[in-house]
Amino acid sequence: MNLALAPSEAWQPLPKAEWDEAAAQHLLRRIGWSAQPAEVARALQEGLAGTLQRHFPATPPALPTPPSVVEIEEDTPEFADQIKAAAPAERRALYQQARERSRNALLDLTVNWLQHASRPEFAVCEKWTLFLGNIYVVAAQKVPNTALLYRHQDLLRRSSAGTAPELTKSVLRSPAMINYLDLQQNRAGSPNENFARELMELFTLGIGHYTENDVKEAARALTGYLQRFGEFRFAPRFHDNSQKTLFGHSGNFNGDGVIDLIYAQKAAATHLPGRMTRFYLTDEALPEDHLNALGDWWRGTGFGLRDLAHRYFSSRLFFEPQFRGSYIKSPLQFYLGLLQDFSLDVAPLPRRIEPAFRQMGQIPYDPPNVRGWVGGREWISSATLEARRVLARALFQPLDESRLNADEQRAVEAARAAGAKAFAVSDDALRPYATVNSDEAAMRLLQRLLPATQADAYRRAVGDALTGEGQAPPPLARVRNAIVAVLETPEYQLC
Amino acid sequence: MKNHPSFLPSTRREFFTLGAKGVGLLAFSRYAPAFLVSSARAETPTPQKDMPILVIVQLAGGNDGLNTVVPFEDDHYYQLRPNLAVPKNKVLQLDDRAGLNPACAGLHQLAQEGKLAIVQNVGYPNPNRSHFRSTDIWETASDSNEFVSTGFVGRYFDNCCSGAPVNSDPLGVHLTSEVPEVFFADKDHATFGVPPYGNRRQRSENLGLLEKLIHQPVQGENGSSSYLRHTMMDALVTERKVGETLNGYQASAVYPQNAFASELRNVAALIAGRLSTRVYFLSLGSFDTHVNQQGRHEQLLKTLGDGLAAFQKDLEAHRLADQVLVMTFSEFGRRPMENDGKGTDHGTAAPLFVMGSKVKAGLHGTAPDLNVDRNQDLAYGIDFRQVYASVIDRWLAGDSAAVLGRKFAPLGFL
Repeated sequence: MNLALAPSEAWQPLPKAEWDEAAAQHLLRRIGWSAQPAEVARALQEGLAGTLQRHFPATPPALPTPPSVVEIEEDTPEFADQIKAAAPAERRALYQQARERSRNALLDLTVNWLQHASRPEFAVCEKWTLFLGNIYVVAAQKVPNTALLYRHQDLLRRSSAGTAPELTKSVLRSPAMINYLDLQQNRAGSPNENFARELMELFTLGIGHYTENDVKEAARALTGYLQRFGEFRFAPRFHDNSQKTLFGHSGNFNGDGVIDLIYAQKAAATHLPGRMTRFYLTDEALPEDHLNALGDWWRGTGFGLRDLAHRYFSSRLFFEPQFRGSYIKSPLQFYLGLLQDFSLDVAPLPRRIEPAFRQMGQIPYDPPNVRGWVGGREWISSATLEARRVLARALFQPLDESRLNADEQRAVEAARAAGAKAFAVSDDALRPYATVNSDEAAMRLLQRLLPATQADAYRRAVGDALTGEGQAPPPLARVRNAIVAVLETPEYQLC
Repeated sequence: MKNHPSFLPSTRREFFTLGAKGVGLLAFSRYAPAFLVSSARAETPTPQKDMPILVIVQLAGGNDGLNTVVPFEDDHYYQLRPNLAVPKNKVLQLDDRAGLNPACAGLHQLAQEGKLAIVQNVGYPNPNRSHFRSTDIWETASDSNEFVSTGFVGRYFDNCCSGAPVNSDPLGVHLTSEVPEVFFADKDHATFGVPPYGNRRQRSENLGLLEKLIHQPVQGENGSSSYLRHTMMDALVTERKVGETLNGYQASAVYPQNAFASELRNVAALIAGRLSTRVYFLSLGSFDTHVNQQGRHEQLLKTLGDGLAAFQKDLEAHRLADQVLVMTFSEFGRRPMENDGKGTDHGTAAPLFVMGSKVKAGLHGTAPDLNVDRNQDLAYGIDFRQVYASVIDRWLAGDSAAVLGRKFAPLGFL
C-alpha cells in the first residue's frame, strides 16, 4: 500500500479546513450505513470531533429485549424441571418445541435489530457492535439459544465503550461464548483448547504471535469457566490450580491472568486496529509502521475502545483520497443503507428477509465460523451479487398483503402501530425525480445514491434511460427502472 | 425479453455477430469476461469435447478420520476411544483390518462396486490445528510455514486453461456462498457461484441500463470497483445459461432430500448440460465435533455417502460417469484420543475419498499408527499434495510440478 502520510502524521486529526461535505459523507458511510443529507448537514455543523462524540457515547444505547426473547425457557431451571418430570418419549418433543421457539425468537430478534440499527441515531453504535461481534464471534448454528445470543450482543454493546482487556474478560464469562467455543467442556485434567486458541488467534494477538504451548497452557488456566442455565459461574473444582508457563511467565494463572499476560504482548496493541482497518477502511493491510504508531499510542490509553474509535475515525489517514468510495459494502450495510436511502422500515417478515441474507452471504447472528465474515472482496461472487440485485428490486415491489398469512398480517399491523410507515418504495418517493427534466433527475439520483461523482457519460446514460419525450420530466415507471438499475451497479456496492 | 437488445454476448458467435453490427465491444473489453477479450485478439481452437471434470467436496470443520475409516483390529483405537469407538461388529468391512463407519452404507456400496478409492492417513509436515490456517494450506497446497494467495485449482487454470475459451462458461463453479480459495488465481478466469437455493430471477427491463452503465468509465476506479465490474459482467453472461440448464434437468437417480444432495444434483445438471466447466466445488459441514460427536458425525457421513452414491448413479445413467472424478478433503482429522465431552479436538492426518468409474478402488497407503501418547496426534503417511499431483497429472492432464511448485510422488488410485 502506498501512503503519502508518514506514520507520525497518519494519526493526527484531520485539519479543520478539510472537514467538508465530501469528508462528512465519507465518515458517515463508513462508521454507519449511508450518508443522508440531513445527517451530513448536522455533522458539518457539529464538527468532526463533536460528531464522533455524539456517535460514540460513553453509554451506548441498548437494544430493548424483544418479548419473544424474554419468553424462551430453554436452559432455565423451570425447563430443566419440566424435562425431569416428563416421560422419556415426551422429552424429545419438549426439546424440539424449545428449539422451535428459540428459532422463531431469532428471526424476531433479527427484525428488531435491523429496525433498530437502521435508525440514524443508533447506526454507528450498532455497526461498532457488529464489528466487535465479528471478532468475539458466536453463531446461532452452534448456539441455538436466542436468549444467549441476544445477551452476548448486549454484553458487547455495553462493553464497547470500555477497554479491550475488560471486554475480553467479559466475553470469557459470556454463556453464549462458553457454549460456542466449548469452555463448558474445558476442565482440569481434560482440557478443551478451542477457546484458548481462538482467544489468541482471533480475539487478541493473531496467528504467529503465540506458540502451541501457550495455547495448551492457557487452556489449563481457562478451566472451570462454566455456565449453568445461562448464568456464568466459576467452578473451582474444575479449575486447574497448578503452575502454568506461558509467554515466558510461570504462575498459577487463571483466565483473567492469562488475558492480562496476552495484553502485555506487543501484538495486542496492533491486532484490533488491524481488524478495524479490515472492517472499516480497506481490504489491504496498513504498513506495519503505521499500525505500530497507532498501537503504541493505544496501549498508553489502557486500550480504551472509545479512545481508539475517536482517534482512528478522525485521523488524516482515515480520510485519505484512496480510501474514499473504494470499500465494498457488507450485505447488512447494503440492506440498511437502502432502507436509509429510501426512508423504509424493515418489513416484519423474517422468513423472507433471512433467505435474502443467506444468499448475500451474511446471516445476522450466524457468521459461518469463528473467524467471522472476512468481508471486502470476499462478499462478492456472481451468486451474492445476484442476491443483492434481487433484494434491491424487491424493495420496489409493494407488499402484497393479501398473500400474507394471518401471523404475518398481524406482524405487519403491529409494526405499523409501532410507527412503521413504508416497507417498499412508493411512487411518492420517486416523484421528486419525475418533476424535473431527465438530465437534472439523473444528476440528482446519482448524487444521492453513489459515493463518488460519476463522469458525464455515466450521467447521460441514466438520463437517456429516463428520457420521456424531449426534455419533459420522465414518467414514474422509467424513474423506478433507472433507480433499480443504479442500485444494481457495481458503484452502488461501494461506500 | 426478445425485443431487448443485449450488450452481452454469451457465445463467440454472438460476439462476432455483434461486432459486425458495429457495437464497439473492444471498447469495453477491460471489463468483459476473459473469453471475449482473448478470443477477440487471437483465433483459438475450439475446446476438446468431454474434458475430464473434477468435483471437490470439502468436509468443513475437520472430519474425524478414525471414525470414518475404522481400524477395527487395533486395540489402541478402542483404548483411545472408550465412548466413541465404532464396535467391530458394526463396521462395514473393507478388508481384514479397516472398515467404514456404519453410516457410510452409500460409500461402502461404491467401494464394493469398485468406484471408491480411500487414501489413508493423508496430512502434511508440521500440521497447523487452526481451521482457517489449515484450510488455507489445503486450498493453496502450500507448505505449513508458507503463505500463498492462490489456490491449487486456480493455478491449474493459470497453467493449463489460459487459452481462450469459446464461450462464457466458467472454468470453476462453486456451490458455496463464498468463492472458495482453491479458485483464487493469478490470471482472470470466469468462476460462477450457484446460489444455495431459490430460482434465479428473469432479467428485468432495467437490465439494458445496467449493461450500459457497466461499460461506462467510472471516477476513482480502484481494485474493488474493477473487481465488481468483472464479477457483474461474468454474472450477467452466465446466469441465463445456468438457470435454464438447472431448470430443464431431468435427474436419472433419486437424490436424498437435503441441501448437499440438491447441490450434487445441480452439478450433475451442469455437467449433463455440457458446460465447459472443469472444476466444481461443494462444501458439507460442520464436521467440527468437539462435543457429543457420534450422532452428528454419523448424520454427516450418511449425507455424504448417500449423496455421492446418487450422484454417481445419475452420471452413469447419463453416460457421463467416465468423465467425472470426485475428491473429498478436510482441513484436518481429529485427535485420536476422545475428549471428556464425547467429542474430539483438532488433530492432523485423516483419510480422504476419491470416487469415479475410473479409479483404482480400495485402500491406498497404510493405516495410521495409533500407538501414540495421551492427547498426541497422528503422524501422516501421505502428503495431501501427492493426492493433488496424481489428480492433476493423471486426471486433469495438467503439470503438477508447475501447479504445486515441485514434484510430489503420485499415488496408485488413478
